[in-house]
Amino acid sequence: MEAYLLNLFILISIYSILGVTLNFIMGYAGIYSLAHAVFFGVGAYAGSFMAMHFNASIFVTLPVAMVAGGLLSLILALPALRVRGEYFVAASLGLQVLAVTIFSEWKGVTGGIGGLIGIPPLDIAGFEIFKPSQFIFVTVVALVIILFIINRLVHSSFGRSLRAIRDSESAAAAFGKNVPLIKTISVVISSALTAVAGVLYASYLSFINVESFMLDTSVLIMAMVIIGGTGTQAGPIVGAALLLILPSLISYLDFLPQTEIGSIQQIIYGLGMALLMIYRPGGIVGRKKHSETGKE
Amino acid sequence: MLALQLTITGLQTGALYALTAVGFSLIFGSTRIFHFAHGATFIIAAYLFYYMNVSGYGLIAGIAAATAGAIAFGLLLNRFVYVPIQRDEGSFFTVFVASFGIGIVVQNVVGMIFGRGYVTVSTPLSFSVEIMEGLYVAPIAWISMLCAAVFFGILWGFLKYSQMGKALRALADNPELVRVFGLNPRFIAASAFTIGSILVVPAAIISGATSGLNPAMGHHVMLISLAATIVGGIGSVPGTLLAGLALGLAESLALLYVDSQWTEAVTFAILFLFIIIRPSGLLGRSAAH
Repeated sequence: MEAYLLNLFILISIYSILGVTLNFIMGYAGIYSLAHAVFFGVGAYAGSFMAMHFNASIFVTLPVAMVAGGLLSLILALPALRVRGEYFVAASLGLQVLAVTIFSEWKGVTGGIGGLIGIPPLDIAGFEIFKPSQFIFVTVVALVIILFIINRLVHSSFGRSLRAIRDSESAAAAFGKNVPLIKTISVVISSALTAVAGVLYASYLSFINVESFMLDTSVLIMAMVIIGGTGTQAGPIVGAALLLILPSLISYLDFLPQTEIGSIQQIIYGLGMALLMIYRPGGIVGRKKHSETGKE
Repeated sequence: MLALQLTITGLQTGALYALTAVGFSLIFGSTRIFHFAHGATFIIAAYLFYYMNVSGYGLIAGIAAATAGAIAFGLLLNRFVYVPIQRDEGSFFTVFVASFGIGIVVQNVVGMIFGRGYVTVSTPLSFSVEIMEGLYVAPIAWISMLCAAVFFGILWGFLKYSQMGKALRALADNPELVRVFGLNPRFIAASAFTIGSILVVPAAIISGATSGLNPAMGHHVMLISLAATIVGGIGSVPGTLLAGLALGLAESLALLYVDSQWTEAVTFAILFLFIIIRPSGLLGRSAAH
């Protein structure tokens, strides 16, 4: 039971990082990405590649993963600079589909469909972290640091510029804000921090394959942010905790078929997303009427 | 000969892409509702036909069930999800998320009922026939192209000459003026959903016999519809039609150079180029900003 809870908390904190970083571009910059799992995957693969072939120290794996995620995100930033939300949804959906093909085909780095086995544990200045009871501290600390970084960004002049862009791009441009630059920086920061979650995830499980980084994962992360509350600090974490506890709650209900837990979980959050948008667009944590999250 | 073979396959795929995409484009262009659950309409129609087929009800009953299911889903979604959301404020984001959520529900409900694997509607029409030396075409390829031609012919006449068709185009141009003119935008929107959902049905049925069905294919359908709508130009039905055909052709002809798992990458590359170089699309008005 204790091992089970530890595992659950570790996953919640990793997914919270994913939610918090997605919320940063979705809630504050109005960029709705269906490709968040791509950067999660890039971080995981890049970190594992370094750890398996060069050095497992986090001072090697984390920077490499973050740079890889950040650089790749420029591909995503490019269309985001040009166009409105609906175009961007399409572009990110396309990128997600393409990335899954690359993850399953680029055998030299990703191990193909079979994935990578035997990824070394995290190495922090010579200490190898492989016990879950130690790992939970690492993930929670990582989450707190990332929350802190994003909190600082949101409350700086940069964050105000972001919200200005979300609410009205032309007004922000008229006030002399460099809209393309601000959007690009926010996408790069978000993706680089997402890659951190990838490194943690890979070294925690010591096994990864493409199935963790498919469209379903991007959708799950988006659902966490939306259900928790877009554009709020605590929302993505609440959402991550809720959606990850949900499958275990469902498995307690004996009358539901155990083989369909995954489907039932998705049905519940799919319905949850639709109902929230009708009755409470700001999410669980968000305000009732959503002056904070919407963009025409 | 291979190129000719691939061109015919490409036209077949493209015809189906065009039908699905025009359905989405018509709804999005006239109502501005980002109907992401359009992929779910496809799934519902396809699986209803599949169910009727394996239960032995015959072709006509299958088509009727698929059409009724698609229309009912489109109209119910509009009435109970989109209209309530738009009553408060119809931001792109809220509509998209709600639609997306419903899409997830449909995908999983269908997956629980029919299983998550591929199923196919078996028909002798999908067996290839050698029509020239080395050129194999299944009769269903001609049926796809004929279906597309007939449906687009009717749609063209409808949009150009009927009262409702004119109203739809007017709603796309200027919703305020439609209201001032005394037409009911909500009724026109319901018609857009009806027509858009009907356009999915032939593509859904034929896909069941050619490429097979899978509950998760709604996302693929949406990627194609979005790509064709954007490449063709948002709000332009002829543009979407052309783009749908072109995407089908491009995916098929790409097989001359790359393996089949990369076909979606071709769609993505075309979409991406258009977003960066020409966001207004082939025939669109400049609508990117």
